[in-house]
Amino acid sequence: MLLIPSLKKKTKHQDILSLPDPPLFYLPLGSYAGDMQVQVAEGQQVQMYQQLAASTGPMSAKVHAPVSGTIVGITEISGDRFLTLKNDFRYTAQQLSPPDVDGMGSAEFLAILAEAAVEGSGGARFPTHLKYNIAPGTLDTLIVNGAECEPYLSADYLLMKTACDNLMRVLQLVQRVLASRKIVFAIERQHRELEKLLLQAAKAFSLTVSVTLLPNAYPQGGELQVIKSVTGLEIAKGTIPAKHGLLVSNVGTLWAMHDAFFDGKPYTERIVTLSGNRSKTLGNYLVKIGTPVGHLLVETGNAWDSDRHSVIIGGPMMGRAAQSPLTPIHKGVGGVLLLEHTNPKAMNCIACGYCVDVCPQRLMPLEFVRHNQEGDLAQLKSYHLDDCIACGACAYACPSDVPLMYHIQSGKAKLQQERRNGQS
Amino acid sequence: MKLNPHITQGSNTVQLLMLDVLIALLPVLFVAWLAYGQLAIVIFAVASATAILTELLFSGFILHRWRSIFDGSALVTALLLSCTLSPLTPWYVVAFGAFSAIVFGKIVWGGLGKNRFNPALVGREFMSVFFSSIMLSPHIWTTGGLVHTSTDVLFPQAAERFSESYMQGLVYKTTGALGEYSLLILWLGGLYLLLRKRISWHIPLALLTVFIGLFWLVPDGDDLSFSMGGLLLGTLFMATDMPSSPTNAQGKLYYGAMIGLLAFIFILGNIRFEYMSYSILLLNGFSDRISATFRPRVWGHTIDWKQQVESIVMLTLSILAVGLAILSLYYYQLTDYLVYLFILYIIFKFNFSFHKKVNNPV
Repeated sequence: MLLIPSLKKKTKHQDILSLPDPPLFYLPLGSYAGDMQVQVAEGQQVQMYQQLAASTGPMSAKVHAPVSGTIVGITEISGDRFLTLKNDFRYTAQQLSPPDVDGMGSAEFLAILAEAAVEGSGGARFPTHLKYNIAPGTLDTLIVNGAECEPYLSADYLLMKTACDNLMRVLQLVQRVLASRKIVFAIERQHRELEKLLLQAAKAFSLTVSVTLLPNAYPQGGELQVIKSVTGLEIAKGTIPAKHGLLVSNVGTLWAMHDAFFDGKPYTERIVTLSGNRSKTLGNYLVKIGTPVGHLLVETGNAWDSDRHSVIIGGPMMGRAAQSPLTPIHKGVGGVLLLEHTNPKAMNCIACGYCVDVCPQRLMPLEFVRHNQEGDLAQLKSYHLDDCIACGACAYACPSDVPLMYHIQSGKAKLQQERRNGQS
Repeated sequence: MKLNPHITQGSNTVQLLMLDVLIALLPVLFVAWLAYGQLAIVIFAVASATAILTELLFSGFILHRWRSIFDGSALVTALLLSCTLSPLTPWYVVAFGAFSAIVFGKIVWGGLGKNRFNPALVGREFMSVFFSSIMLSPHIWTTGGLVHTSTDVLFPQAAERFSESYMQGLVYKTTGALGEYSLLILWLGGLYLLLRKRISWHIPLALLTVFIGLFWLVPDGDDLSFSMGGLLLGTLFMATDMPSSPTNAQGKLYYGAMIGLLAFIFILGNIRFEYMSYSILLLNGFSDRISATFRPRVWGHTIDWKQQVESIVMLTLSILAVGLAILSLYYYQLTDYLVYLFILYIIFKFNFSFHKKVNNPV
């Protein structure tokens, strides 16, 4: 049971604000699986909402223009490729045509999700049309994941507070298409004031939902942990929840789904929490996908100052430290955090066992360090390294600042390499 | 590339951990001073000074780590060692003990956290072996005439009624080693460590349950004598030592229970004074195997119970076998050779393996 203090209370009671758009957008060409192919030429004029790049296959992803403007080209930012779009500030948009949701079948339902390029907004960016690809009638419980266990972030909270009608409208559709038996909202106990709000909103849409209050612990929002808290079912990492009649969907994802079904709008913007003890302003902003983080900082009275603070894209536990002010917001980013630098000076592991106590998967993280140093893959397997969900709880709790995450990543890479060698 | 997580638990560093142990020990030291005044202070001071100096020199020259002096662990080791000694222990023996505790208990393993055995107890065993005539002579435990503040001063009308003398035994009694004079203070220290999550309840609970349970079960268990203070000191401050105990909850329960069982067996086998040190050190040696055997059930996985039971039975049999071996050695007064063997082993290990891993965190 790991409780992490943060500034959530500072941002959860604020409204969602909008920011001026940046002159240049950097649209991620990477996706959950593989890179996207660019479908527009350099110098081409594009309209707002126009599809610019896509990848094919079952895991397909797309990217749409968040504003109208000119395609500049491809920029590489810290190793990743981005399509650069110059904003013309005219906002000439493609005509959006909301689909006819009445009597919509599941095939069409999935097609629209793929068309609007909705991705898992909790962080993993798993293609939503793939997640919802389950036979109607087999879904027992649809869990709406509003746990948002990452410290500091309040984007999902704000959506549940301000856009609960939209959530209910899209849930109504999901229930009709997939014939799910139950809908459960999973929220942390610290946000229990939402319970009444959600139940009231559901009533207005004559929808039966229940609310489960979860502990404020980290990582309560992990898919497996949410499933256990809501249904009591403990499923191992790697099993597909749908096999157990379960589907877990993040609040932000449902919000994007709503816009796709009821406005015909592709996924081009999301809510992002700006927070951290080094940030001059704290709040929640409606940010377009592809907005460079540096722009967000400047517009909120901060600056890109790598001496003074680290800029974290995502949450403090699983997010990434941005290497460049051009690093853009993607569909899985719930926050931008300005935090003081941590300079962990690794000391010896003192075998205190705190990492074992806080591991949500009940693993023994210190053993990963020991055996990865030795390169002992058999031991890494016997301690079930592949069951690690990389949540970082062990590294947070370690008094000696042992580089646990480094050894976990490196160990996983070695195991993956071994599997690849085994296949070839 | 900086990896996640990007925040750490600031209240949780090695220094703070050691500080908590010191805070828990301070009242114990105060009671020792109350009982034996200057005698106690000299022992604490000599042990601490020697330990810190040894840490500085050996950590620096052997491990090339000058910063380790600041982690506070040398002080903790020195004070814990002092708590197991008689107030009459000569200063040079104390210094030798503190020196051995740091060098053979910690440095040669590769520094803090890598030691397999509890450093304070290692230091104590070295004293018993190399200064056996002093450490085992009855007269260093005859301290009645030297008491600085007697029980009567604290409890003027004590010993008149049974309940009062019992209470007094709980609060302040001036017999035994320096850390054993007040059960109440030891409990308070343990409670503090428990609340600060520096020890977990598993080891003390299992240890005391098994140990005291066996005393009840065995006929004429009342005739067996043991020091409650020594038991508590060992249980709360020695058995719970992080590096030398298992890392998972189930393992801790088993480990505590086995220490209780072995301590009881050693008392039955007439081991005086050393039953607690022996059983803790013995189980220290099995710590890693216990951790591995009792690894928690991974999320969503099942456990092969037959295999699990088999490995627990085998482990228990090995521990009992070693326990009986120690009893036999004790009976033939050969336990010293264990320490000689240990010195050879550890020097060998340091040369061929440990010193190469000095900079690895685990």
